[in-house]
Amino acid sequence: MKRESIPLLLGKMLTGTKFAQRQSRGTFGLGGSLALLYGQVTTQKPIEIVTGQKGKSYGYSIKMQLDIENNRPVILEEDRVQKSEDERGTMITFSLQGDWLRSKKRIIDYFYQTSIIVPYASLFFETPDNDVVRYDRVIHSVPKPSVSTKPHPRGVDVEMLKSMISTTRAKSLKSFLTTAFQRVGDKKANEFLDYAGLDSTRVPDSLSVEELVRMMNSMESFEKFLPPSPNSLSPVGTEVLLAGIERLSPELVAFKQRPPNAYEGHPFIIETGVAYGGNLNAGAHVIRFANRIPLLYDERSDVSHRVVRELNLKNYGFRQEDPLTFIMHICSTKIPFKTVGKEYIADVDVVRREIELGFKECLRDLNKRVRRQTKAQKHQRRETRLATYYRFIAETLSTATGRDVQLKHLFVDGGDCP
Amino acid sequence: MSPSRTDIASSEVIELIDDVLNTLAETLEDGVFPEIGYYGASKKNVNFREEAGYISIDEAPSFIDGRKVESAKTIAGFVYGLSRFKEHLEQNMSMSLRDFYYMHKVKHVQDVLKITDQNETNRLINLCERVIRHDGTSVPREEFGVVSSPKGTFYGDVTISDMSGKRLNCASAGEYGWFISSRPFDVKIHDINIDAAIFIEKEAMARNLIELAIPEDLRIGVGSLFGQPGRNMRAWIRRLADEEIPILILVDMSPWSLRIFSTIKSNSIELANIRGLATPEAKLLGLSTEDFWTRRGMLTEIEHSLESMTKSDVKCAQQNKNIPAISKDQYLNKQNEVMLKKKRKGELEAFKSFGLPLAQLKGLYINYLKTKAADLDVKVI
Repeated sequence: MKRESIPLLLGKMLTGTKFAQRQSRGTFGLGGSLALLYGQVTTQKPIEIVTGQKGKSYGYSIKMQLDIENNRPVILEEDRVQKSEDERGTMITFSLQGDWLRSKKRIIDYFYQTSIIVPYASLFFETPDNDVVRYDRVIHSVPKPSVSTKPHPRGVDVEMLKSMISTTRAKSLKSFLTTAFQRVGDKKANEFLDYAGLDSTRVPDSLSVEELVRMMNSMESFEKFLPPSPNSLSPVGTEVLLAGIERLSPELVAFKQRPPNAYEGHPFIIETGVAYGGNLNAGAHVIRFANRIPLLYDERSDVSHRVVRELNLKNYGFRQEDPLTFIMHICSTKIPFKTVGKEYIADVDVVRREIELGFKECLRDLNKRVRRQTKAQKHQRRETRLATYYRFIAETLSTATGRDVQLKHLFVDGGDCP
Repeated sequence: MSPSRTDIASSEVIELIDDVLNTLAETLEDGVFPEIGYYGASKKNVNFREEAGYISIDEAPSFIDGRKVESAKTIAGFVYGLSRFKEHLEQNMSMSLRDFYYMHKVKHVQDVLKITDQNETNRLINLCERVIRHDGTSVPREEFGVVSSPKGTFYGDVTISDMSGKRLNCASAGEYGWFISSRPFDVKIHDINIDAAIFIEKEAMARNLIELAIPEDLRIGVGSLFGQPGRNMRAWIRRLADEEIPILILVDMSPWSLRIFSTIKSNSIELANIRGLATPEAKLLGLSTEDFWTRRGMLTEIEHSLESMTKSDVKCAQQNKNIPAISKDQYLNKQNEVMLKKKRKGELEAFKSFGLPLAQLKGLYINYLKTKAADLDVKVI
């Protein structure tokens, strides 16, 4: 991180109207800013930052505090520190208060699951119990970051529409539609305005509240909008997920990325994985992620849990007690959380279907491989047993007939396979 | 008359075994998985003819394909079995079926064949009998030295030499008579002074007849089957029939006893490949359904002593309809039908329900035996 960016990146909470849409988990996607804020609220201790860039012989050491009221950072101390030119990176130290005993398991789970979904990050955690939780990065490629896109007509509410209109520079409804929304061209804009019964040349600002509501409702019911663009999404990708899932040391894994889909004007992509065997615990388990954040609570209420419950594992050659772990990642510009606490994903039909199709595809794939494996094992066992019997036959024949019966022509390796 | 088995010396059997073992050894050395053909005990391979009993007709051969794992295991057991037989024959030792089973508990054998049930080793012996053939017929396991525990006794004025080499008379060989050899084929018969031989299902009645000196009075032999007769007993009956002694069988009146009689008369499908076990000349002396249920029946007076057939008795009778040796035999089939209809059965002990003084019991027995034998054209004085 550049020294100049530090206050903005770490010291400012990003709030405000979100006209631009992209999948996001804050500035860095690690939940950092809020953690800093929470740390200061609970301990009042300053944040210490050391940062340096490659190719420079010095870096910076900064102590800063957050001015919460004005949402800006206050630098308390700043020093240049010597470093080698190769060193780079940013280190942030802060304190926060929490109930370790009560939350221990969740925190460790969080680290663990994060290490699965973000395997390109190294995690190191020294617990208050003096244990060390450590996950080294296992892959260097990082998922393609998401691109910010304009909202989709189906993803706005009246309030948002109102404020969009108040800030737009468009002089007509038609140009408002084509400039402020994604995937709306001239043709679609005309069709829509016809459908909504609004004059395409109207100045956006002149709409009455009733007209706004009508426009909003029409946006919801108009069926000809193109689906929202998935460019604003950043799925993890099969390669990264495969690397991450290795942390579970399963015997076999299958991952599938579903094609983009949309609900209520928000695009979403479901990534599903099923791991089997190896070090996995017996029985079916579900690990859930939303925009790369592990979901730890209310597992049983989650839509993915319902999907797993309703799967007929027998159809895929598995049993309920087989070691199976289901991994579900949903990325979206708006995750369909059921609750404000963002504990679990709601049972939205289109989302559930995607998860279901994803898991089923994975299971089919796994089943094929497990079958191939058992077939190979069976073949191997058969060969071994056959060789055992013939060795016995040859020995018995040798004793009974007094001749030295060799098997070298029967088995290429003389029947000495294990 | 079905042919008795052909004589075969143990040295010949060893040769036969050696032939098979060497052929197998050569096959393996040539790098070919062995294939063993034999005629199984399927209905296709067995014919029933009333005058000869069950005969193997060797229609549909079965093959053990050495490329298959389970077949390789069978071949391993087969080879091991033959090697045991060979050793025992060379040492002039016999073994029982159970002995043979325990030979598979030798550690290095058990590790490979993992046999846990005597049925498996019994099947292997059966296979050996079917594979090793001489003069176009199976070599019975007795020739491999595998004898079942002998079962059955015979009392009567017949002089023989059994495997002990001693010459003895079956009427002076103990209270039951002679304990029938495990290898009746190899018993020498020197002298026969009986006009008929009666074989009785239950030993108690046979003993009664001996105690009452009926064998001497009627010049008959009395054998005790001890239930379903073993191979040795059936072979002994065949031997006597070969000597043109009329064979009469006295059993309970029950569907099970029809099976006992049919096995003596016609052999069984499973052992159709073994010659010398059927005695088509054997006749059913009693107890028959006519004894109880016809006007001049000899046991009508004790009809009240009959017991009801149990469920399994009825089931047995129903299954008898599918046994060719019973269903295709007009007389036996009729017996079975009547029993099924009356759903009652009679036992040999029923004679005791006359309640006669012992002196008169002897007369009753003699009268019954004489009359019934005469009905069958066998004259007993």
